[in-house]
Amino acid sequence: MRNDKKRPQPDRKANRTILMRTLFLMVVCGVVAFIPLFIRLYSLQIVQHDELEAKALDQQTWDQAVTANRGTIYDSKGSPLAMSAEAYYIQLAPREIIERQQEYREKVEKAQAESDPEKREKLMPDYPEPTNESIAENLSAILGVEQEEILKRLAKTNSAYEVIKSQVERDVADQVRSYASENGLSEGIYVQPSSKRYYPNNSLAAQVIGWVNYENNTVSHGAYGMEAIYDEELGGKVGRVVTAKNGRGTQMLYRYEDYEDAIDGNDLHLTIDATIQYYCERVLAEGIEKFEVQDGGFAIAMDPKTGAILAWANSPTYDLNNPRTISDPVLSAKLDAIKNDSSLSDEERSKQSTELLYEQWSNKAINEPYEPGSTFKSMVLAAALEEGVVSESDTFVCTGSATVADRTIKCSKRTGHGTQTLAQAVANSCNPAFIAIGQRLGAEKFYEYVEDFGFLSQTGIDMMGEPNYSVFWSEDLFTSANGITNLATASFGQRFKVTPIQLLTAAASVVNGGHLMKPYVMESITDANGNILQHTEPTEVRQVISEQTSERCRSILEGVVKPPGTGKGAYVAGYRIGGKTGSSETEEKDHTIVSFLGFAPADDPQVIVLLAYDNPKPVAPGANTTAGGWYISGGSMAAPQAGKLLTDILDYMGVAKQYTEEEKAAMDMVVPSVLGMTQADATARLKESGLDVRVEGEGDTVTAQIPAQGVAIPGGSQVILYMGVEKPTDKVTVPNVVGMNREQAQTAMTNAGLYLKSTGLTVGSDVKAESQTITAGTQVERGTVVEVHFIQSTASGGAGTGI
Amino acid sequence: MARKHKRDLTVEEQLARGPVDLPFLMLVVMLTVIGVVMVFSASYATALYDAKTAHNNPTYYFVKQAGFAVAGLVAMYVVTKINYQSFRWMSVFVLGAAYVLLLLVFTPLGFGKATVGAQRWIQIGPINFQPSEVAKIGVIMYFSARLCKRNTEKPRRINPRSYWSGPLTALQRTGFLELVPYGAILLSIAVLMMLEPHMSGTILIMLGGAAVLFAAGIKLYWFVGGAAGLAGLLLLMMSGYQSTRIKIWRDPWNDGMNGRGDGFQIIQSLLSIGSGGLLGVGLGKSRQKFDFLPEPENDFIFAVVCEELGLVGACVILFLFALLIIRGFWIAIHARDRFGALLVVGIITLLAGQVFLNIAVVTNLIPTTGISLPFFSYGGTALMIQLAEMGMVLSVSRQIPAAKQG
Repeated sequence: MRNDKKRPQPDRKANRTILMRTLFLMVVCGVVAFIPLFIRLYSLQIVQHDELEAKALDQQTWDQAVTANRGTIYDSKGSPLAMSAEAYYIQLAPREIIERQQEYREKVEKAQAESDPEKREKLMPDYPEPTNESIAENLSAILGVEQEEILKRLAKTNSAYEVIKSQVERDVADQVRSYASENGLSEGIYVQPSSKRYYPNNSLAAQVIGWVNYENNTVSHGAYGMEAIYDEELGGKVGRVVTAKNGRGTQMLYRYEDYEDAIDGNDLHLTIDATIQYYCERVLAEGIEKFEVQDGGFAIAMDPKTGAILAWANSPTYDLNNPRTISDPVLSAKLDAIKNDSSLSDEERSKQSTELLYEQWSNKAINEPYEPGSTFKSMVLAAALEEGVVSESDTFVCTGSATVADRTIKCSKRTGHGTQTLAQAVANSCNPAFIAIGQRLGAEKFYEYVEDFGFLSQTGIDMMGEPNYSVFWSEDLFTSANGITNLATASFGQRFKVTPIQLLTAAASVVNGGHLMKPYVMESITDANGNILQHTEPTEVRQVISEQTSERCRSILEGVVKPPGTGKGAYVAGYRIGGKTGSSETEEKDHTIVSFLGFAPADDPQVIVLLAYDNPKPVAPGANTTAGGWYISGGSMAAPQAGKLLTDILDYMGVAKQYTEEEKAAMDMVVPSVLGMTQADATARLKESGLDVRVEGEGDTVTAQIPAQGVAIPGGSQVILYMGVEKPTDKVTVPNVVGMNREQAQTAMTNAGLYLKSTGLTVGSDVKAESQTITAGTQVERGTVVEVHFIQSTASGGAGTGI
Repeated sequence: MARKHKRDLTVEEQLARGPVDLPFLMLVVMLTVIGVVMVFSASYATALYDAKTAHNNPTYYFVKQAGFAVAGLVAMYVVTKINYQSFRWMSVFVLGAAYVLLLLVFTPLGFGKATVGAQRWIQIGPINFQPSEVAKIGVIMYFSARLCKRNTEKPRRINPRSYWSGPLTALQRTGFLELVPYGAILLSIAVLMMLEPHMSGTILIMLGGAAVLFAAGIKLYWFVGGAAGLAGLLLLMMSGYQSTRIKIWRDPWNDGMNGRGDGFQIIQSLLSIGSGGLLGVGLGKSRQKFDFLPEPENDFIFAVVCEELGLVGACVILFLFALLIIRGFWIAIHARDRFGALLVVGIITLLAGQVFLNIAVVTNLIPTTGISLPFFSYGGTALMIQLAEMGMVLSVSRQIPAAKQG
């Protein structure tokens, strides 16, 4: 107490200090310190909650895709164009392979610790050490993957998912599987199932069908063509198994989270007919070779009544099973040229090679607008007839050129077609006549019809790459000061561009009764049980011209194919083909697109085709023939090819042939047997078959006949009946008829005692024999049939003349 | 020993039999129970996957921790029975023992170098623990016992004739001489601990010692100076290894391995906390504890708490801690004497510091350092020592004079 009295002051002061400082610590430790913690927790748990939770869930869940089987693509007859089959991908788990290698070393150590050599032998692993190098070497040998690549992947030792090859076939997959199990690597090298797309017809309809890409080796995505457009329907729904996993990547199945079934894709049925498609591709490829075509071409076949696409061929094309390999002969040559061109840098070389790839994938028939040339005259004709500004009885005078405003426009026939009827003007593809027809229509009406025929909008076909802008001229080009010239050139189809499918659709409406149809490729979609889920009904966009106008157009256009029309190359007896030729000169020099628009039969069109070859190579700059002597024009190149194509298609479709009397006369007749008949009976029998009779001898019955039973000879030819006299057995010499016209050839053959069978242009007079099947001078039996191929004798129409 | 009748007790003994502070006791028990439950939840996956020590038994850590918790509560009860005045003389021995143990760490008795790269543990018989736990309480006890007498002790007489008298007097005036023994103790312990090395333990011991010195009334400029010195030291250490730690702290995802390197643990902690949201994913339903968050039952247990119980649960626990701390200081303020007050201030400040630093690390508020969360983190002896310290606080609370009636 004494101390308290003596020093009360400092003690109280000290107590106060202690109290204040303790209170200070209390506030700091008990309140202040918690404020930043609370703020931080609030920011993490509330503000950043979604972001952090998403990241956490991402690592906590195992999202595995379950492959859905991709649907099959069928043609209209039900044969598969694209199908999926089982395939595998090879996955390495370097993290697990390291463990296997460790296990191996442990086994060896254990074995070496054993003193008894026999036991040691037993304990030693029965396979070589699975080093990274040996794994790389073996897998490389099986899969053809670079060893360095495999080693690089194996070095990622904390990874468990390194796919070294996908789309592996079953036998290769089995090899990998057995390698893994024989070398103690079953847990480390995995063979996982996936699927692979096969295209059984390789390049058939390549641009239409397209191909698929695989994502994560399991999910297929259509990359091009139908595969891409109908990807959703074909692809089905990929299933998912979402399971919880722990930090080591192990699934925790008892903490199961979600499961979604995979739904297989539906099947796609196209309107494309594989056979017609094949015909189109064949005719295209043939022509490209024959006419030395440099920039490919296309051939489209459509059902004019519905708009269903029957075939869609492009050239150059590619193999659907290897879309990244150049297989087209023309492009292969270009590729070789690029590879051998030492002036190119590697970069340029790879760029140009890539361009070639795009070229072979290109669907010219839809995404490359071109100048339609004279094929467009069909639409101008239809519009003029519909509007009543021309009629079949009108005549047009062609002097070889026409003057519009201050420009002189030449006709294909420089000397002029003279006075011609409407049908003749169309058959001659006379430019001055069409300039006159266009002027009678007037710019406004003309443009109205352009719109009505669908040239200002997309056709709406379910195919990739249709330009979404109007490729045609805008209306001001017709109404402007130069409108009159523009109208003139447009009247015969020059200077503007349309897409091939637009032209074909419009032309179909001209011949099908005036109905502009929406073209389509997808016929129906069916599920696995064959139930139809979706079906395309033909859609009429609008009626452009009347049924009557359409009928008049058909008959005028059939006349184009009849000699001496420009399209006579397409003429085939019995098929009633109608059409229009086209030779479009482009802005580029010496670059002509020759085409033919054809349909058949003319009275009731079942099929309409548009065939075009882009840029046949002239023999010399400025020349109008190719090295093979082919005159560069739609009439002499595209028309005969299209004729061949249409006959193939009509035969395939089973359309009945219709012969005119004239044709019947020129038709082949099979000679019946008249042996043993009386002369009257035999004559009657042969007349029935349209054959003439010449009698030798005077017996009662026919003892011999030339030609023998079963030989086909042209109708109207004479059959020689031997009535009791011996049939002469001497041989006759085949005369040379090449270069003769039909009459001359006929006479020559008859004089020699042979029969003439004409092929090629079998109707009309303006023809000459191009070749004969039995060479002149050959000794043959009397009555042998010699086939002679006739072609047109005078070249008319061609490049730069709009025919 | 037969229990004495109340009338036979001395005043001292009567005081020591006063009631313990019930709010404080309740808070301690609540936190201990919640902590043990959370250890069960957090350690479930670790134990399940661990074949070596836990034998894939998911309750392995829980059972051990629960056992220690019971033992710790018993220890706490025993400590409350001790008249805290005897801690004055015990303090010397506890501090002495701490030195011995800190040295023993470097003998074969110690371990930890091989597993975590720091020699922090010591094994004596079946139990193993960190000597730093003993050092913490030893420093606080010794400092309290000495500092409570500083106003009553006669200042040391300095021979005015001595050659040193001038500077010595100046040093005494500034209070430097008084600080020399404390400074020497803290420095020597710090050196021993940094040899292990054990950065976070050193920080906590400094904090406990400083708290007692601060409360005892040591002049403020020493703390300013000390803080400045420490800051300088920290800056110096930030070069090299420590600086990458700072980089990871600033952006854990940019650890050179896309978040799978040094930043992994803190990233996983943040993902856990963030996943919790407001209400959490539910007790026991943490997904992050399945091998994503490393050692979820240990230093990062609070991340699991946040994930399972959400912001609400985390705040409830923080609130309980805050109440415990405030009640602790309340006990210090009302303590019967200065020794009791300083002792409680030291213990509670240490606890508060540990809570703050642990949660700040887990939420990436400060760079990572290994500090466990009191009552929660797995570790039997640490929990027992923690509870024994709470027993000391309760022992002090027994002798709080009853409020005057009326």
